[in-house]
Amino acid sequence: MKIPPRTFSVLVAIWVWTLGLHAQLLVVANPEIKADSISRSELRSVFTGATFNLKDGTRVKPVLLKEGATHTKFVADELGTSETALLIDWRQRVFSGQATMPKTLGSEAEMVTYVAQTQGAVGYISEATPHDGVKVLAVR
Amino acid sequence: MKGRVLAALIAAGWTATAFAQSGEGLENLQFHGFATQAVVASSNNNYLGMDSRSLSVAWTEAALNINDQVSDQLRVGVQFHYTRLGAFGGDQVSVDWALGDYTVKPWLGVRAGKVKIRWGLYNDTQDYDPGYLWSLLPEPIYAVDWRATDLSQLGAEVYGSVYLGRKLGEASYSAYYGSYYEASNDGVMEDFTEEGESFKSPPGGKTPGFDLRWMTPVTGFKVGGSLMAYNAKGNLINGTFQQPTAYWPTGYAEYRRGKLFASGQYAKLVEYDVSTETGSAPEIDTSDERAWFVMGGYRITDKLQAGAYYTHYVDASGNDTSDPGNYFRDWVASGRYDFNSSFYLKVEGHFIDGNGVGFYGFDNPNGLQPRTNATVAKLGFTF
Repeated sequence: MKIPPRTFSVLVAIWVWTLGLHAQLLVVANPEIKADSISRSELRSVFTGATFNLKDGTRVKPVLLKEGATHTKFVADELGTSETALLIDWRQRVFSGQATMPKTLGSEAEMVTYVAQTQGAVGYISEATPHDGVKVLAVR
Repeated sequence: MKGRVLAALIAAGWTATAFAQSGEGLENLQFHGFATQAVVASSNNNYLGMDSRSLSVAWTEAALNINDQVSDQLRVGVQFHYTRLGAFGGDQVSVDWALGDYTVKPWLGVRAGKVKIRWGLYNDTQDYDPGYLWSLLPEPIYAVDWRATDLSQLGAEVYGSVYLGRKLGEASYSAYYGSYYEASNDGVMEDFTEEGESFKSPPGGKTPGFDLRWMTPVTGFKVGGSLMAYNAKGNLINGTFQQPTAYWPTGYAEYRRGKLFASGQYAKLVEYDVSTETGSAPEIDTSDERAWFVMGGYRITDKLQAGAYYTHYVDASGNDTSDPGNYFRDWVASGRYDFNSSFYLKVEGHFIDGNGVGFYGFDNPNGLQPRTNATVAKLGFTF
């Protein structure tokens, strides 16, 4: 059976997208951050803007992806919320005078570059993304 | 008004200085805003200063803020807000907040300027409509027609959080001291007018307070308490006005996990207003207001959320608590749909018994009926 080229392209795109859904996530940090691991509650607190510090006192800067399968999985699985709810939470902090919006990047490659170069930065990528120059934090 | 202008100028000056010193120009500058337009319809009584019995569109809000994260420790910013709520708000743009925010340690930060007041669950976020499910927050505690007065103070705040360990969770605090003025064109001043008190200019005074909240070891569950104290002095057209220090304590709890949230709050306010007309003995008006709410909501899909709440209010200052003017009970059902990350629609129904809050004589000249049903639909945009 011959598959039309357009259909084949769509199927490949869906396949790649589902790979993203099932891929493991990595929490990555700037190498100068001393911690080797981060608890799930710290992860939730930092990426929802509840705190800008790890429990050891290290000041961190959360970095978000704008969209995509990795972002969807991270928000749902690690933060336990939805993308809309997360955006609302951050904007609520901005409009109450408590914070600025976190850095938001368009791709995982940009995420790795930014986290590697920015003191205190913490982000997330899929396991398959090359991540030279950043530290991987174990999630406990 | 002078204080607000001063605060805005201070924030603008800080921002300009930060630009000059940072060498990064506009890279750290953030602009955000929102706008909403509501349609309100009610039975029996006009509500919240709007001609809602005739279907009112006189509820429009907008805000714009500018923030600059000057360094890891220092942020400066300002937010302007416009509200027209029926007869209230007018065409004035007010400074919502204008501040410098310096983080010394995780357990100590300082904000100075015009700073939002952290009191209860939602005082400091109540005027950001895109931030929550409801079209109207519980009126007895977060009165939209009194909001401009209770929202912020001109002064300073210290704040911070302390991690207590895996078994105890985390505690955070806020303590502030500053000055305030009653907003010149909101329900507070209209209430004074309807009680026969006309001011040369809105009264004001000092307001210290604090908030302490505990993020418990149970994921998503927090409890807390706040105390707002305030006094006021002012000049009546024909005398003086004084409000000895009033205390407004509140306790609250909130649970958020996954798609579900639930919260409750109780507040009590005892206030004495002393008005002295020239040549007459002082008149003392006492209120003993007790209010609470319970609410819950569920995110059905990423775009659709629904919820309900009940709120209860009574003025127990010796008056007849069976008089509808001394109580207010509201059963509310609400839904919100987010078309995308910027646009949303809210639709909400209110079933109100009593008219202790939110109702005025000027737009109900034939008297108030004890029950009101209201529907609010609101379209919003935020960025």
